Order: sequence, then C-alpha cells, then structure tokens
Amino acid sequence: MIGAVLRAIDNLTGRGDAAVTVPALDGALRPNRRLDEARTRWPLPGVDAIAVLFGSPVASAGTTLYRLADGTAWQPWRKFNDRIACIAAIGDEGLAVVLDTGDIFIEGGSSEGRSYRVPEGLRCITAIATSPTAIFLANGSATNPAPDWQLDLMQRNASGSIWRIDRVSGKSQRLADGLAWPAGLALDGDTIVVSEAWKHRLARLPLTGGEPVAVHSDLPGYPGRLAPAEDGGAWLAIFAPRCQLVEFVLRERAYKTRMIAEVPRPFWIAPSLRSGRSFYEPLQGGSVKQLGLLKPWAPTLSAGLCVRLDRGFQPTASLHSRADGTTHGVTDMAEHQGRIFFAASGDGVVVACDAGTGEEGSLL
Amino acid sequence: MSVSDTLMRWRYRAVPDHLLGEILTKRWIDNAIPVLILMAVVTVFGSAIPDFFGASSLANLLRQWGEFSLLVLALMIVMVAGGIDLSVGSTFALGNIVALTLMSVAEWTMPAAIAATIACGAAVGLVNGILVGYLRLRAFLTTLVTLIIVRAIVDMLLLKYSVAIAGGFIDSDAWYYLGEGFLLGMPFSVFMTLVIAAILHLVLSRARAGWHILATGGSRRSSHNVGIPVRRVVCITYVVSGALCALAGLLFASRLGGAGADTGIGLEITALTAAVLGGNSLGGGRGSAVKALIGAITVMIMVNSMVRLGVSSGANSLLLGLVLLAAVAIDVRWLKNRHKLLSNVYVSPTFAPLPPAPATEGDSPYALNDKLRPVELIGLGAIDGPEDVILDDDDHIYAGNRTGDIVRFLAPDYTEQEIYAHIGGRPLGMAFAADGALLVCVGGMGLYRVTKAREVEKLTDETNRSLFTIIDDSRLRLADDLDVAPDGRIYFSEATVRYDMHEWPVDSLEARGNGRIICYDPKTDTTQTILKNLVFPNGICMTHDGQSFLFAETWACRVSRYYFAGPKKGKVEPVIPNLPGYPDNINRASDGTFWLALVGMRTPSVDLSMRMPGFRKRMARRIAPDEWLYPNINTGCVVRFDETGQILDVMWDLGGENHPMITSMREHKGHLYIGGISNNRIGRLRLDGADTGWTGPKSYWGRT
Repeated sequence: MIGAVLRAIDNLTGRGDAAVTVPALDGALRPNRRLDEARTRWPLPGVDAIAVLFGSPVASAGTTLYRLADGTAWQPWRKFNDRIACIAAIGDEGLAVVLDTGDIFIEGGSSEGRSYRVPEGLRCITAIATSPTAIFLANGSATNPAPDWQLDLMQRNASGSIWRIDRVSGKSQRLADGLAWPAGLALDGDTIVVSEAWKHRLARLPLTGGEPVAVHSDLPGYPGRLAPAEDGGAWLAIFAPRCQLVEFVLRERAYKTRMIAEVPRPFWIAPSLRSGRSFYEPLQGGSVKQLGLLKPWAPTLSAGLCVRLDRGFQPTASLHSRADGTTHGVTDMAEHQGRIFFAASGDGVVVACDAGTGEEGSLL
Repeated sequence: MSVSDTLMRWRYRAVPDHLLGEILTKRWIDNAIPVLILMAVVTVFGSAIPDFFGASSLANLLRQWGEFSLLVLALMIVMVAGGIDLSVGSTFALGNIVALTLMSVAEWTMPAAIAATIACGAAVGLVNGILVGYLRLRAFLTTLVTLIIVRAIVDMLLLKYSVAIAGGFIDSDAWYYLGEGFLLGMPFSVFMTLVIAAILHLVLSRARAGWHILATGGSRRSSHNVGIPVRRVVCITYVVSGALCALAGLLFASRLGGAGADTGIGLEITALTAAVLGGNSLGGGRGSAVKALIGAITVMIMVNSMVRLGVSSGANSLLLGLVLLAAVAIDVRWLKNRHKLLSNVYVSPTFAPLPPAPATEGDSPYALNDKLRPVELIGLGAIDGPEDVILDDDDHIYAGNRTGDIVRFLAPDYTEQEIYAHIGGRPLGMAFAADGALLVCVGGMGLYRVTKAREVEKLTDETNRSLFTIIDDSRLRLADDLDVAPDGRIYFSEATVRYDMHEWPVDSLEARGNGRIICYDPKTDTTQTILKNLVFPNGICMTHDGQSFLFAETWACRVSRYYFAGPKKGKVEPVIPNLPGYPDNINRASDGTFWLALVGMRTPSVDLSMRMPGFRKRMARRIAPDEWLYPNINTGCVVRFDETGQILDVMWDLGGENHPMITSMREHKGHLYIGGISNNRIGRLRLDGADTGWTGPKSYWGRT
C-alpha cells in the first residue's frame, strides 16, 4: 500500500523510478568519432557477430558466415538453415556457431563436426562464452525471440537466463534466471560477467550459480556483447544509446501499449541499431537539421559505442559514432594481435582499429 | 473513433486547461491568496459571532478600519520601496495628541491644526527618511529607535496636556464631522481612506514616482544604475508614511477626543501583519493599495472578533503573531514557487486527432520521387534561414534572415548579395504591394513595409483585444505569412497568441487553435481579427477570384479557403482536409494553380500522441525540449494543387541532402525558388513547361 502511494507520488513528480534521467557521456565515455574515423571499413549488410579464427576475422550476417578472404572483402564461407544467433572461437578447436533453432555447431577447427543442443525452450540466445570444458549461453528473454528485442524492452521484461553446457556430457545447467535481457558474457576466473541490457549494468555471477552482483551500473546505453581483451579486461559493445524520450515512453503505459499495437515497429519510439533513415521515424527537438546539418550531439535513437573495460570491468576508454556518424549499432567486436574488429550492425559494416598507438590514435 | 477517444474529446472540450496557466501569468493573481484568507476569516467569524453582519457592528468596525487602513497604507508604501517603518504606531499617537492639544488647548483653527498635525507626522517621517535613505542606516533599527523616541515625546506631552485636554471643549462641528460624520453613506474616515488608497494605487501603477518606488524596492542597485535617485525615493516614502500616520491619529482624535497612555501601542505589529497578509512583499518591489486594504480588513475582523468573543488580550496577540508568521511564510513560498507552478501548468496540450495520413508510396498522389534532386543552390552558407523568398520585376531575390535583415540577391547570377533593409525581429512571409513596396510579416514585431526607397515602416503591431480571453491578445506575437487582396487590404496570419516565435514547438505540442488571421486595411490604418481559433495558421494566398484566400493550418495538416467578399462572404471551406505532412506557405503557380510547401511529414508516433494530450503534457514537464518528440521537419516536399484541392504534382528530395527543409517556394519566370527557415541556402529549380514570362507581381497587379 505504502509502496503504491510512493509510486504514485513519484509518477506525479517524476522522481525515483519515474525519473527519466540518462547519465551523461563523461569520463572514460567522453564522446569522440573514433569509430567513424577508422580507415579500414569492410561493408557487410546485416552483420551481427564477429570472432577471430586462426588469425582472420569471421562474421555472421543472417544465416551465413563470412570470412575476410584476402583482407579486402567478405566472402561467404558457411551457410546454415536458420539465423545465426552468435559465434565464438574455441582456441584452435574451431568456431562455435549458435543457431536460432537451438543447434550449436563447431566449425573449421580440430573439433569440426561436433555439435551440441541448447536446452529445450530457449529461443532467444544472444551471447556465448566458451571455456575448455563448457559453453556458456545467455538467453535474452523467455517470451520473445532475439530479433524482437525492442518489444522485449518495451514490455520491460526481466525473464532472461544464463546457461552452462558441459562439453563432455552435453548436459545443461541454469546458472541464473530473471535477468533483464542478458546480452553479453565474459568469463573471469571462477565467475562470469553478464551485461544486463534493460538494467544498463554489468553483473557478476559465480560459475556455481547464485545471485548476480552489480559490477558497473547506470551505463548511458544498452550493454550487449562482451569480448575478451588481449591484455586483460574486456570490450563491451553498447548496441544502442539510452535517451530521455525512450525512458519516458517506457514509463507511459497507455502510450506504449497503443504504440506497440498501432505503430509499425520501425517507427516506434524505441532504441534501434540504425535510426534516421525514414521520415516516418520519430524526430526529437535537438535532431532538427540546422543550416543543413544534423548536430553530432543531437538526441538519437541509435549510435555506435564500444567501451574498453579494465580487469575490474570498469570503463577506461571508448570509441563512438555519434548521431551524425556512420558506424551505428555496434553489436560485437573481437581483438586479435592488437587489432580490434567492430561489427556495426546498424550500418552493415565492419571497421578495424589498432588497439595501441596507431594511425587512429592511442586508445588506452 | 473508440469510446475512450470520444470521452477524451469531450473532456478536453469541457475543461479549458489552458486558462489556469493564463490566469497565473497575470499580476493580479498575487491577490488570490489574500482574498482567500479574507473569505475564510469572514466565513469563520461570521458564523461564530451572532449579528456579525449587523449594521451597528459594521459601522463601528468601519470607522476603526478607516484609521487602521491609513496606517497599513503608510507601511505598504515604505515596504514597497524595500524598507520597513516600525514607528507608525508612535507617530499615530503623536498625531492624536498634537491634534487634540492644538484644537482644545491652543485653540487653533481647524485647518491650521490639521496642517500642523500632518506636518508633525511628516517631520518624524523625514527624520526616518534622512537616516535610512541618505545616511543608509538599517531601516529596522532606525525606525525602532524612532518608535521609542516618539513614544517618549508623546508621554511627555501627555503629562503636560492630558488634564487640559480632558477639561477642554472643542467648539467645532467640522472637527466632529471628521470622526463621526457620514459622506455618501459611509463614515468620513472610510471615504477619505478610499480616496487616498485610490490615489496611491494610481501613483504606484500609473505614475513615474510610483514606478520609481516599485523599482527601488525590486532592485535597489538596478534602479540606481538606471538613474533613479534611490536615496530620495526612499526618504520620500518615509515622509509619506509619517504624514499618513499623523492623519490617522487626527481621525482617531476627532472620533474619541481623548488622549491615553495606551494609544497606538502595539499598532505597528498589527499594521505589519495586515500589510504582509495582504500580499505586500517584505522584500520590497511587490505591493499595492488594494493588497493593503484587503490585509487591513482581514486583520481588523480578526482582532475585533477575538475581542467580541471574549478572548483575553494575550491570546489576541498570540494569534496576531502566528498569523504574521504564516503570512511571511506564504509570501516567501509563493514568490519562490509561482514561476515553477506556472511552468508546470502553462503548457496544456489538447486532444487533436488527425485522420489517417495519406500514403507516400504506390499510386498515391504523394508518392516519393526525386524531382528536387537537380535543385541549384543560391547563397549556400551565405544566408541564415530564409523562411520566405520573393522576386521582384527585375528578378532580384529577397529573403529574410535570422538576424532581422531583408537580404537581396542580385540578378542575374545571384552570386552577389546585399542587405536591402534591416527590420529586426524575424522576417517571415513576404509579398509585394501594388506600388512595389515589400510587405513583411516579422515574427515578434508585427506587419512591416519596406518601401522602394528602402524605408522601413511599421504598418501594425496590434489588433483588437478579444473580449473573453484572459491573456492580452492585442499585441502581435508571431505574424507569419501574408497576402494582399486586390483592394490593397493585407490579410496575414498570426500562428499563435500564446507563445513567441522561438517557442513554436510548444505550440505544436498543444495543437490547440491558438492562432488567427488578421486583416490590416491601409486606407483606414485599422487592424481587425477576422478568423480565430485556427491551429497554427501559416501560409496565406489569394485565389484568382478576388473574393477569397487559401490558408494552411500547420498542426491540423489542412488547407482551407476563406471568403472575404462575394456571395459566400465570411465562409470557410475545406480545400485539402488531410495532408501527409505539415503545410507551410502557399503561393500562386503560373497556370492558375497553387504551390504548397510541406515543412515536415507526419510520423505515426506523433499522430498517436495527438490523441493522447496527457502524454504530451507530461512529456513537456519531464524531459528537456531538445529531447521532445517533434513533428518530423527534417524532410519536406513541394505540392502543387488546384482550387478544388486536387493534388497535381509532388516534388521530393529523398535524403534531404540538397534541400533539407522547405518552408516556402515562389515561382518566377519558369523557375521555382525554395526557402527554408533553418536552411543556409536558397534553392532554384527549373520547371519544365512552365510559362517563362510569368511573375508574381504581374499575376497580382497585372503589370508588365
């Protein structure tokens, strides 16, 4: 009862849970244009996940795996009968490929041809992490498939789960449940770090199961996949930015319900991997072009953002593509020998940067 | 329409939400709380005391009120200038004893005695004024000291003359008339107080001296900086205060005819309570005679009623103290929060559903194309926001810019530009009059004319005040577009009366009929509103029959036709009832049809929000304007239509690279010239098959 009254007061005054504030991009997350300035750009429409296998990048787009054949363009390598949910390299054993059907295939290495099954009923695999003995999977939502992530956000679900599949027995075990769209996994000793997108935070779970503990919270975007960095720590892909208008709509139940029912999904007031392509999309005040220019600081429903995390999973540096940029919707990244590959799903392009001092400037 | 939509429609029709905010913008709203307190006091004591409203009770109360109000007015004057006068009670007592002594002991004539008494009070005020105003001592301490000194003088006078006063008799009917007579059915003291209050009100609200006092109280430093003699102003307020107090004491003397040791004791606190309770700010700068009168009535009723209820005098003082405390608290909180309250309630979106938007693909007349791709750019990067463009007989281009200039690009290649005239404000729609003068609607200023000799003349900046609106809608805030009828009358649109130019997004949130169309008649130099409650009326264009014009309503996404003459005079007819975007300017095309600029396109998310006013209201309150959901004005197009509303042609620029925003277009000699309010360029497009000799001025005025 008291809780309901407090919520009503919060609603009236815009405090507490009803507050629509979004943290500023500051400190390690200060905006820059590093993603747009990367000189190496390989277009690949629909690119989603990326990994490095035997020294060369492999990317998934739709149902197909692509390899960077001669270092200049993407070539189809393997084709599957369903959408590829995520991929991860397992040392030189090969590439683990998870399909929306629930199959896990090992491709192109010493373990080529082995396969596993995702536990029954999981249809929303968003991320994978591997160890020599096990495969860890994140299931974003119990009710929505992965491409319906905007719907899951609008419904403010928290039904995601983390699973461990034993690579010897093939048995699966649930490590955690009730997560708000877990979208990235990174192993860290005997714990696993999960990015919980709808709660804008990174959380740590013991591998033996247990309650998640926040490692870093209140990120200015929706955190997605995590990838190990070569000198410790990790990379974090923030696939869409948070914005006051979306936070506000999330709290407006009546409008949200009617929007889901009446407005075509590409034109929702919701974060997206790429926005601003159609004039039917919502426009915000700061995004009105002035003197023919879209301002880089304009509020936007999509952006490119990738964060370097230290060993304690705290941000130390970041790469951005801002409102007027061309590298939006970074969903995955992979580092190999000082070179990082970013899969920008929104703009259908893979860009590469040097991690250390290089042509694009030092990151760390 | 669903049941909930129907309910919503009726709710927003029945409750005029916007009025609350408009009332809060008024200065007189400061009186609301004092009046409410007065009503509460009257209700409580009126019901607690039998015969409260009886004639004898009222008459007695009124006489006391007359004297007391003079004291409150005196204190109010000082407070408004930023000071305080605690010596009012003592000066009152001084006035009493001086008047009685002069009349009954010295036996002066009445006029001389009155003048001397008032001069005596003014002298006390002058001492205060010199100390506080010129020597800049603290008002509180200084007047506290004068309170004690004047009280001591009164006691000395009492010791010397009280027996003589009690024994003497004043033989003058006029003297007793002051305290006991009636004028126009009310006690003389009340009449005099009302007259003085009226004078003070006029001085404070209408006269230079009053404005100086208010300014000094509002900000002493700023007043000094603008050249107001701050010290003198402060000094004068104390002199006026002292004189009024002595006058009150004189009335008291005439009414009771006795001098006692307790006369005027504690009166300063009662008067202070009344002044603050009436809404006069202790900080200065805010106050009026009416506020003082309201406060005086309230306190008078309270004090007298407590006495009549038999409450002991200690409790009476306690009550006064508590009321003073509460009044000061309310004064501070109200001053601090009024603006917050206003900003929370002023924006009041209404239920404004639009029919489903026409498609922009397939065989829709609005189907996308790339016809604006070959637009040439004029003045790229050299002009800031040409809302409207117009060309004269010599093919020069005129365009307004953001800094209030009319810029002229010179024919034939338009590489050279000059500032044709500087008006200020934000030049928007333009038209040529028959004599070749350029008529301009200037946002924030009104309707202007630039003659061929480049002289800028104001035609009008106000129209008739509507009878039943709360905000004053006589001034023009956002004159938008205009056109000239064959007889020379100028019809122009004012987009909104509730917001200024740069606040147009707030008006788009409201989507209420806040705009109007106004007619200026140059023959009689009169301005008259002819159409009201339009939803952001924007473009205006004369049809070819000379009896009507077309006008666009931006947030309502429609074009209508108004007849100002002929058999259909006064009628409004829909022409295009439902556009896929937001219409802006309308202009004539060479083949007798019309060009229409769509400044932006409707989006499903905004169309949905138009049905949910509560959503828009909360959005305006919760999130920053830069984050608001806007109508999509990053993509627009040019539409050609005829008088029946049939869409003949649509020209798009997909991607908006070449011409991101279109607010106007003007056909001239086979080319279309395009303007955009946030663009840095003017577009020029060759029209295939158009009459290469046609120009706007020729079409309007038949010149060659």
